[in-house]
Amino acid sequence: MTHRKKNRNVGIIGIGQTKYSSHREDVNQPEMIHEAVEAALKDAGITMKDVDCVVHGNMELFEMIHQPDLWHTIGTGACGKDCIRITTGGTVGATISCAADNLIASGMYDIVMAIGFEKLQEGHTTGGITNMADALWFRNLQTGALTGSKAYDVIREFGEERAKRVSMKYRIIMDKHAMRNPKAHRAFGLEFEQMDNLIKTSPKLVGDLKLIEMCSQSDGACVVIYACEKKAKQLSKNPVWIRDHITVHREEVFVMFGYDEKYPFPMTHRFAAEQLYKRNGIDSPVEYFDVFEMYDPASWWAVDWIRDFFQLKGDEHLKLVENEEIMIGGKMPINPSGGVIASNPIGATALVRIAEAALQIRGDAGDHQIPTPVSHALASGFGGTMWTVLTMLEKELNW
Amino acid sequence: MSEIVMDELFKGVEPMVYASRINVPYHWWAGDTASKFFIALRDEKKILGARCDYCSMTFVPPRKTCPRCGAAEMKWADVAACGTVLAYTVVRRQMAAMPKKTPVVYALIKLDGAETGMLHMIDGVHPEHVKIGMRVRAQFAPERKGHIFDIEYFRPEG
Amino acid sequence: MSEYWGIKVEDIFNTMPERFRPEGAKGVNACFGYDIKGEGKWKLTVANETLKVEKTGDLTGCVSVMLADGETFVGVNTGKVDGVSAFTSGRVTVEGDFSAFGKTAKMFKKYVNGKKEMSTRDYILDMFGTLVSRFQPNAIPGLDAKVCYDIGGNDGGVWTAIIKEGKCELVEGKADRPTTILHVNEAKDWVDVMLGKSDPFTLLSAGRASIEGETQIALKLGEIFAKYKSPIPEGEPEQELIALKKVISVNQRFATGPVMGKFLNALKEKKIYTNKCPKCGRIHLPAREVCAECRVRADEWLEVGPKGQVRYMEYVYYSSPDPLTGETRETPYGMVNILLDGCKGNDTFAHLIRRDQIDKIKGGNNEVAGTRVRPVWNEHRVGSIFDIKYFEIDE
Repeated sequence: MTHRKKNRNVGIIGIGQTKYSSHREDVNQPEMIHEAVEAALKDAGITMKDVDCVVHGNMELFEMIHQPDLWHTIGTGACGKDCIRITTGGTVGATISCAADNLIASGMYDIVMAIGFEKLQEGHTTGGITNMADALWFRNLQTGALTGSKAYDVIREFGEERAKRVSMKYRIIMDKHAMRNPKAHRAFGLEFEQMDNLIKTSPKLVGDLKLIEMCSQSDGACVVIYACEKKAKQLSKNPVWIRDHITVHREEVFVMFGYDEKYPFPMTHRFAAEQLYKRNGIDSPVEYFDVFEMYDPASWWAVDWIRDFFQLKGDEHLKLVENEEIMIGGKMPINPSGGVIASNPIGATALVRIAEAALQIRGDAGDHQIPTPVSHALASGFGGTMWTVLTMLEKELNW
Repeated sequence: MSEIVMDELFKGVEPMVYASRINVPYHWWAGDTASKFFIALRDEKKILGARCDYCSMTFVPPRKTCPRCGAAEMKWADVAACGTVLAYTVVRRQMAAMPKKTPVVYALIKLDGAETGMLHMIDGVHPEHVKIGMRVRAQFAPERKGHIFDIEYFRPEG
Repeated sequence: MSEYWGIKVEDIFNTMPERFRPEGAKGVNACFGYDIKGEGKWKLTVANETLKVEKTGDLTGCVSVMLADGETFVGVNTGKVDGVSAFTSGRVTVEGDFSAFGKTAKMFKKYVNGKKEMSTRDYILDMFGTLVSRFQPNAIPGLDAKVCYDIGGNDGGVWTAIIKEGKCELVEGKADRPTTILHVNEAKDWVDVMLGKSDPFTLLSAGRASIEGETQIALKLGEIFAKYKSPIPEGEPEQELIALKKVISVNQRFATGPVMGKFLNALKEKKIYTNKCPKCGRIHLPAREVCAECRVRADEWLEVGPKGQVRYMEYVYYSSPDPLTGETRETPYGMVNILLDGCKGNDTFAHLIRRDQIDKIKGGNNEVAGTRVRPVWNEHRVGSIFDIKYFEIDE
């Protein structure tokens, strides 16, 4: 895999998010997007005239509006501008960020606006996700994104009691974070004392995946504005630099459940993280990063993936959760925003990870700001059945 | 890998066509601005526009924010149920999504008081007699449901 | 019996007979229990499209029992509390058959507060009763203020909202040294303002209200507190919002290509074919033209199975409508990944298991064998995944 250095540096100069919620009947799609566009322009201190290109992303099947970027021009302000539409499933928000970064790094544009949105209430998420599977075969069996397989794996490896408590602890920590983020969709006010009760009473969806452990379906939009180094320094007093990003794919993995240890099965998260750290000379990611905004569709996945993303061994990842090191104020804070479990407007979700990581670096996250200085941040995107986008963000241009 | 090898490889193998289907419910929200437009069509047989004073333009259908300058301060404006044909096309092939029997005349109509053209259909006139610049008036449906077809079609004025 | 938003728990149960929709109870013959903390237990008996509601200590024989506290129960039934949130967060729990409980949702018309009118005093009490819950800590970050409401007239009273460190507390009477005092001469005027029937500036300019202390805070009360909503639905007409609803149904035809074609055609003959990667030996199920990892043609065909062992089962408790058919599968059901005889490695054959056998299925791995299963073939086979109806235990 050849990977070359950027032609020029790219920084984030503007961030705008709507409030995430289960329903936004009061606005149509372009009107909802417009809220985030206005917020991002205001944050960047620029107008639409300054934007050279708009990158627009969502999952079209979720709302069944094809070529939504055309209708949405009313809200995006892309009229008369270059506009690129991207759809890559759960990762779409991360992919539009990669595209914006590459478009500027290449020298094609100076300022690019990335727009991720979804109005899941309008469509049928299961319908969209099921249509992703192999039409000749697996589509007939699969309905939606729910699986108990991760719970099965973690329980198999660490025993039922410890595994269930770690998963629920992660879930409660995310809720505690979401309570501090006014934009979060679901913030229940859960307490650690409720852990055993929730393990017992929260309805099971599939296997040991419980209702409360699964992410929500949300409406909302997120907009991030990127600029070349020269303009970023002119326009922003605290641009956040995109150091690197990586995307790793593999074919769909609906049938990869042989549980045969003699046949190792490389996972994209671990593979992507390895490549990214190697080419950036990072030996210990847990030491290096100050915050990680992870695409965590369910607490079971999240717990397991911490190990992959940080190249951890044994039960180190469980200890990070058990010892509350992933909390705001902990050693390796994860998802101060509340994460995807709290808010999941799918096309925006992975971009929200990057936006929230950048807010942490800027120190602008408000109530959910990490108390210690944030210089290095990691953001992940995940798409089904299994592919990965990772983005590294930096406060200083000194790497 | 060349074509010839592929041919050999799949000799005697029958490809087939696999029939499938998707059947999924959707509901799209109009938002508060467009809802008011649809409700006015339904309850008052009135067509509403939205005016941006910065651009001195009235948009039909109404927009929550100005599509030209992005301003949020839009004002409601009544526009007339009659206007002028800006452009039209005659469709003669029946397609499933078309609400009327062909020939159907689709037209952009600039209503009096509006600066933008609205897409709708013209009926009550032979397609050959439709002209750009022609005056037309909205024919409201007898039963209205808060939908763009609460205007059944536009017909020549007079 | 406590009241929540002016409604008692028993009001909800007592109105059930009149809100009952026989058409929503078709085919349901069961008892449903409700255990409302501190309020008591109720039992609903539904049979032949009729309903009986009784308050009883004995909930035996109920297919499901819903547990909640009174506030949550009333809240969910009146739309004050989001049902999904209450359920997800564990404020409402269901014991017993969860899918049966779901059927009660269709049986009743929505509860409408029996009180046709609210007096000015009712409104004033409700407004201050809901004030803390309407507090929006992020409207003005870091706000530190005591806002005193001095509402005049027979229906009025004095309350102070103490806002500090992102929290709001309401006390009766005038607190020590308030930041702002809002004097309103007549309670009725304040109710009208809160219901949006008149605006505060009219009151102020007409001298029917006045502000003492910091004016800015008084003018921002509309941001500090979320809008008050009347508990009587018709009290405040909200704008109707229009939605366009459509079921999109599209027929699709997919070319199988020769490899998948051969695989599907073999199912007609009750045979399961696979092809093997010549480089890494991976066995593909279903068959694939190339090995995704080695990127070489998988050109060696093998017949495998049709029996095998389960390696993993998805135990599905909840299913959403299948977008292909629009129908929802009966739950619980099991989706199994089977390592067919003659296969090795990670690639398994995915299918359904006979529903009455799901609790007997054990998954396996390279050390422990899983449950042995065999396919049950459809008599009419067309070259599709459902040429096999499901798998069953091979005994």
